[in-house]
Amino acid sequence: MSETKQVIVKVKRQAGPKEVARWEEFSLRWRPSMNVIICLRDIAENPVTRDGKKTTPISYDSNCLEEICGSCAMLINGRARMACSALVDQLEQPIRIEAMSKFPLVRDLIVDRQFMFESLKRVKAWIPIDGTYNLGEGPRVSPEIQGKGYPLSNCITCGNCLEVCPQVNENNQFVGAAIISQVRLFNMHPTGAMNKSERLSALMGPGGIQECANAQNCVHACPKGIPLTESIAEVNRDAWKQALLGWLVG
Amino acid sequence: MSATATQPDLSYLLRKLHSFTGLLPVGAFLAEHFWSNSAALVSAEKYNATSQELQTIPFRLIVEWGGIFLPLLFHGGYGIYIWLRGKSNVSAYPWVGNWLYLTQRYMGIIAFAYIGWHLYTERWLTHGRSRYANVAEDMQNPWYLVFFIVGVLASSFHLGVGIWNFLCKWGLAATVKAQQAAGRFGAFVGVAFSVVGILIILSFRFDWHPFSAYLPTK
Ligand code: HEM
Ligand code: SF4
Ligand code: FES
Repeated sequence: MSETKQVIVKVKRQAGPKEVARWEEFSLRWRPSMNVIICLRDIAENPVTRDGKKTTPISYDSNCLEEICGSCAMLINGRARMACSALVDQLEQPIRIEAMSKFPLVRDLIVDRQFMFESLKRVKAWIPIDGTYNLGEGPRVSPEIQGKGYPLSNCITCGNCLEVCPQVNENNQFVGAAIISQVRLFNMHPTGAMNKSERLSALMGPGGIQECANAQNCVHACPKGIPLTESIAEVNRDAWKQALLGWLVG
Repeated sequence: MSATATQPDLSYLLRKLHSFTGLLPVGAFLAEHFWSNSAALVSAEKYNATSQELQTIPFRLIVEWGGIFLPLLFHGGYGIYIWLRGKSNVSAYPWVGNWLYLTQRYMGIIAFAYIGWHLYTERWLTHGRSRYANVAEDMQNPWYLVFFIVGVLASSFHLGVGIWNFLCKWGLAATVKAQQAAGRFGAFVGVAFSVVGILIILSFRFDWHPFSAYLPTK
């Protein structure tokens, strides 16, 4: 290994949710612009640990490699981030890679984010446009609403905002920032607003918006720069108005 | 969580009540308490007159229990429950908001312990007839003095952060700019309460009345 620069990577391996976890260390050949996904690919190509033991390729999720599919979120040096945009040159070595801790583990670095999809269903995070007959054209969306909605629509359901939230844990079914922000997005759309009160009611159920304690970690962790704290504040305002003033002023 | 539910869950209502009681009446009482005790900065007589005034309000027990003790017990008790259900992670994510989240909880419990002791010594043991001389005497005990200072700082800090939380969590400060302004306001309240609280303590400890010049000269 005379002139070649090496990259030292430690990966937490776990064959299944009930198996014991162990760390494996790898030494990889450095290349320019290397990111964490490339490290995992290099290991798959030659699954041999640093001390020369043969092992198996690491299971991980990834797809787009450009921070747009949301599948590659993991803990890199202890912090939740997207592996495809985590550049090796900007990381302290040995680079520690492990699965996110707030979702059920499937294998190695793969977790099951079904909780987020179930939550999106519960809050009806969509705009109903189908009927049994032609519903005609919907109302026009003002450029102002479009401008506010676009950043929110960038959410890739990566789960980083849940992973970093102190209020998301096993004591607590808190749906997390992403889902609240999606409620804001669909409530601000003129057609989506037809289900506004239903979405707000869903968010005032167990694990709803009340669990937010304003630590504001989510907004720092979001790879898409979504204004999550603003979304939470706005949805919070709509929610208490509906819950506490609804019986009074309708 | 259920999409068909139309009534908010009990946890929603209790959480809102917790947040609200932190400000009203508990926070408001803290403000009133500091204000009344500032009378010591003028003179011992003024302090005794002010406390006499408060000790003889009509419906005193109802006001004390309904307006102060019970809301405080609820806010503190439910605050501990909220605390136990969260999992702080500042070592992995040492961001300011995250630190405030953690310290908010510790300052809350310190304030709760302090207030409990303070009520016992200054309200219970005196049968609600505490006077300047009693408090001044207590302040001569260095342990009491330290506990007073810690309690005042913890309560002020907790209220300052709490005001910021409240404004964000009720959506009264929603944009990033508004939340920053709310943060500055909370910090101002925290610092102002700390300073006034410490001045009052010093007043008792050193029999120091910086505003005595307000009194008519005899
Ligand atoms: C001096 C007495 C106290 C005052 C003036 C006070 C005031 C406040 C205020 C204004 C808030 C903000 C409400 C919100 O988050 O929306 C708050 C929150 C909180 N308080 Fe207190 N509080 C006091 C005592 C306590 C005690 C004794 C505890 C118990 C540990 C406590 C625990 C909490 C917690 C955990 C929060 C955060 C709530 C959340 O994240 O939703 N507080 N307090
Ligand atoms: S809001 Fe941001 S951090 Fe949360 S799931 Fe969406 S993209 Fe990920
Ligand atoms: S691979 Fe799609 S976000 Fe990283």
